[in-house]
Parts: sequence; C-alpha cells; structure tokens
Amino acid sequence: MKTAFLLATALVLAPMAVRAADDHAPLRFVLIPKTVHPWFDKVNTGAQAAADLLGKTTGRKVEIEYRAPETADVSSQNDIIERAIATHPDGLILDLLDEKGNHATMLEAVDEKVPMTVFDSLPPEGMDVTAVGADFCEQGTIAAQRLAGLIGEKGEVAIMIGVPTAPNHTRRAECERAAFARYPQIRVVATGIDNDSIETAQKQASAIMQAHPDLAGWVACDAAGPVGIGQAIRESGRTGKVKEVGLDNLNDMIQLIRDGVADSSASSRPEMQGYWAVIAAWQRALGQKTPKYIDTGIDVLTKKNI
Amino acid sequence: MSLETTFPTTPPTPPRLPPLRRLAARCMRNPLGGVIAALVLIFGVSCLLSPHFLTGFNMMIMARALAFIGLVTIGQSILMILGELDLSVGAIGGLAGITGGMLMVQAGLNPWLSLVLCLLLGTACGMLNGVLITQLRLHSLVLTIGMAGVYGGAILVATKGVAITGVPVDISFLGRGLVYGVPVPFLVLLACLGVVAFVMVRTPLGRYVYAIGSNPEAARMLGLRVDAIRIAAFATAGFLSALAGILMVARLGTAQPSIGDTWVLAPIAAAVIGGVATTGGLGSPVGAVLGAVIIGMIENIIVLFGISPYWQSVVSGGIVVLAISFDSLARRYLHREA
Repeated sequence: MKTAFLLATALVLAPMAVRAADDHAPLRFVLIPKTVHPWFDKVNTGAQAAADLLGKTTGRKVEIEYRAPETADVSSQNDIIERAIATHPDGLILDLLDEKGNHATMLEAVDEKVPMTVFDSLPPEGMDVTAVGADFCEQGTIAAQRLAGLIGEKGEVAIMIGVPTAPNHTRRAECERAAFARYPQIRVVATGIDNDSIETAQKQASAIMQAHPDLAGWVACDAAGPVGIGQAIRESGRTGKVKEVGLDNLNDMIQLIRDGVADSSASSRPEMQGYWAVIAAWQRALGQKTPKYIDTGIDVLTKKNI
Repeated sequence: MSLETTFPTTPPTPPRLPPLRRLAARCMRNPLGGVIAALVLIFGVSCLLSPHFLTGFNMMIMARALAFIGLVTIGQSILMILGELDLSVGAIGGLAGITGGMLMVQAGLNPWLSLVLCLLLGTACGMLNGVLITQLRLHSLVLTIGMAGVYGGAILVATKGVAITGVPVDISFLGRGLVYGVPVPFLVLLACLGVVAFVMVRTPLGRYVYAIGSNPEAARMLGLRVDAIRIAAFATAGFLSALAGILMVARLGTAQPSIGDTWVLAPIAAAVIGGVATTGGLGSPVGAVLGAVIIGMIENIIVLFGISPYWQSVVSGGIVVLAISFDSLARRYLHREA
C-alpha cells in the first residue's frame, strides 16, 4: 500500500519537478510538416541551420524537434500538433494540410499560449500567425508558361496532379490550367493523379503518353510527380520530344535536368522556408512582432544554374 | 479405522504463491487481465519518463483521439468475434462525413437531420456489405477491399478531392465540446461501448455472435439465423463508422475527403491486442477498445518522447508486438507455475 502511495505521488509530482527544471532549458521548437517526405527533410535542414546560427550567436541553444505525420491526413496531423502542444514547446512551426481543418487545433495552441509560425501554407483567416513560403499559384504558372514557351505555344500537354485532397497541389493545377488557357493552340489532353508517389507518377505518365502519342509536354503539381514523369519519358525513348518542366528540387529532379530529360523545374526553396520559419518562431518566442508573410520566392532550375 | 480419519473434511489447498505472483495469476484469469496489465505498464513507464504525459491537457487529447478510432474498433471487433472483417469501415466513415458536409453546406439541410441521414447511410453501406457477403457467399476480406474502393471512389467523385468547408457551428460541440473536461466524442464512445458490451454479454444476440464466430455451421444447425446476424453486425459496424466520421467532421469543422483513411488497420490491430481472435468466437469489444487505448498511448508517447518520425513505425510496431507477447508469455508462465 505504502509503495503504491509513493509511486502515485511520484507520478503526480514528476511533471512539476521536471517543468521547474525547464526554466533554463534551451528554446525548443516543434516542426510539423504535412507528412514524411524528402521535400520536408530539406525544410528541416534549413531549420536546423537557423537553429545552429541562433544558438551560436545568442548563446542560448535552440532545438528543433521534427515530428512528421506518417500520412498526409488532417486528423493525423491534428493529433500530432495536439501532442506537441502537450509538451509546451516555445513554438510550433507548422505546414498546414488544410487551414480550416487545422483551425480548431490551432486554437488549442492559442489557449495553451504556444506561439505558431506556418510555412508552405497560409494560416486561418484572422489568426495572428506569420506565414513563410512561396506562392503556389505563381509556381504553377511559372512552370506552365515555361512549358508553353518550350513547345512553341502549341500542342497537347498533360498535367500530373499530386494528391487530389492536398490544397497546394490542386491550387497549382488550377493555375497551370489557367496559364495554358491563355494559349489558344495549347490543349490540356490528360490529367494524371500520382498521390505524391514516383512509382504511380511513372505508371500514369507512361499510360497517358501511350494514349496521346502527340503529347508535347508535361507539368506537375507535386515534388514526386515530375520525377516519375521524367522516368516515363526516358523509358519510352522520347527524351527531347516530350518536354517536361518539373517542380521543386528533389535530387532525382535535379538529376533529370542534368541528364537532359527534363528542361527545368519551378522550385520553391524548402531550406529557406525552414530557415526563415525558425527565425520567425524565435522572434515570436521572445515576444517580438513578426511579419505577416515572408515570401521565400521561386527558382527556375535549369542545366545552367543547378 | 473411521471414515473421519481416512478422508479430510476440507479439500487440499493449492501451494500458496508469493503475493505479487498471486496478483498476476488473478489478473491473468481475467480475459482482459493481459491487456490491462500491458496498459498499466505502458501508462506507468510513460508517466515516469515524460513530464508532459500525466497532464490534464494530454489526457484530454488522448481521450478525444481515442474516441474516433475506438468507435470503429467496436464495430470491427464485433465482426472479428463473428469471424468476419470489414476493410471498408474507414471509407464508410469518410463517405458519411462527406455526405454530411454536402447535406449541411451545399443542400442547406438541417444539421441534425443531416446527421441522422448520414448515420442511415453508414448503416446502409454496412448492410450492403453484409448482404453481398452472405447472399453471394463471398469472403468478407475480399468483398470489403472492393467496397472500400467503391465508397472511397464515391468520395472523390463527390468532392473532386476538395474539402467541404462551412459546416454549421451547431454541431461543433459534438467534436470539440467538453463536459466537465471530458471530450464529448469520448462520452459518445463510452455510451456506444456500454450498449454494445451489454448486448454482447447480457443478451441472447451476443451469445449467438460468439456461437457463430466459434462454429458457424454448428450455429446454423442449431437454428440460428446466421446470415441475418452477420448482416446486422456489418450494419452495426457501418453505423459506428459513420458516427465516427460525423464526429470527425464536427471536430475539424470541415468535411475532409481523407477522413477514415487511417481507420482500416488500426482497429484490427487494437482488437487483436485486446484479445479478439482473428479466427472468431473469442474476445470482447471492451478488450478491443482497451487495445485501442494502448495504440493511442503509444502514438502519444512517441511524440512526447521525441522519437524520430522515421522510427515511429518501428517503435509503435515493436511496442504492439511486446504488448501481445507480454500477454501470451504471462499466461504461459502462470500455466506452467500452476
């Protein structure tokens, strides 16, 4: 009985004791992306670089805890955000899957006084949160316009959508369609769905190119899609005949550009997004005002500049 | 020699075990003893290792997260006791949620009427599964894989992958509300579990489910309406999945096409951890929900302990295997001791 009582007391008091010791702990930020993906690894790399810099220059260590949901599902992401809130970090750095679906959970962070910064997404309306990222629509438009130029502003093109439920993927697709619509002689003849999987993208792209032998070019809406498209172009022996303008800067994408399979890639800057998200989160943790939006821009990666 | 001296008046007492082992033996005699012991162990270790575990906020979020997966687990456990499986429960939950969103937002229907219609839809989907399985003599695993594609595809057709926003706030308390600090979805889970546990333990219908799960042919020869009971079980699973889907819509404030995507394997794993036999006839919905508590707790501590996301599956899978092994090994040990 005595043992049970002591154990119960220890269990209740342990959190208080450790929390008291936390007063001199390093600043701790939890970075929660949409899901496990190489693109977010690059974000994390940038975030760690910013944390190192801040630690060295200020003398107070900054720690980044990277917590990625296994699937790109709003409820799973909300669960992880809630668990992170339970640890009372100095800040949350979030890539929101759906600002409306994440809203209730973000309000819990507000209630628990955990400051938030979002990247690669926009915060819910009316919420005082800094957003770091690039314009998805601009990124899709740049890719579509570049492809239009490559194919002489005429011919058949196809769009590879990533995950149909991911708002950033659908937004890029919308803007790519809108950009192609400005060229009367360009026709979007097919739309594939790759669910952010290189293998699926390859299968879809191969099938679409079989069905449309006159296809002149491809654009994509996610990072995995253009890699699969490039592999399908290479396998079908149509390198150079079917043009591709990819998206983002995964290593496979860069290799496809080097090999001449893809012409270029409209790439957001994931490392920079992670970097500036940490800077904004750090400022918020110190109680300073931060900008509403930090635009990290878009690069057009070509053989010449990679 | 008299009879009194030849035969003892009291039966021989078994050898007295040490107190801790006696407690363990008593636990293991209870069908839920193993899962409760594993749960207490994980809970205790979590309390000691993470200062953030035993806080009101963390308990609240764990209870709320448990509610959705717990509801689906109850339905799946009934089917598993019956010797069946439904892999479309997640898609049914998602379809019910999306339909609810469309009825409330796009059709402008009364939110409460929409909820009732969604529950009916979920029940109908489950019932359809049951009818197809029993009338066409199909294997439930194969049929429900196909039906998951049908229901999941219907979600994409209806939404084009875009979430339905603007769900009326009238229903938000169902997903976000608290009653004396306890999340409303968790209370719904407890109510459903209470009803199902009562039916399974205290009514003839519950006994029939176990009988069919143990030996369907024998049950049929005894005159039980095997097909009707199987259809009813699938309908119940559909109803509970739809309820989980609707509560999730209320929780998120939007109807997401991805609702239910993660509700397929976790309830099966939870039921197995909770002692439900995949071959049918054994286990209970209460045990299955306790299995879901273990899974929820593991998912919670993975974040609290700061385990790398790349190791999450390894760690959670490993703890699940440990939890199942713990139960099995403890029973074997005590059996040997006896």
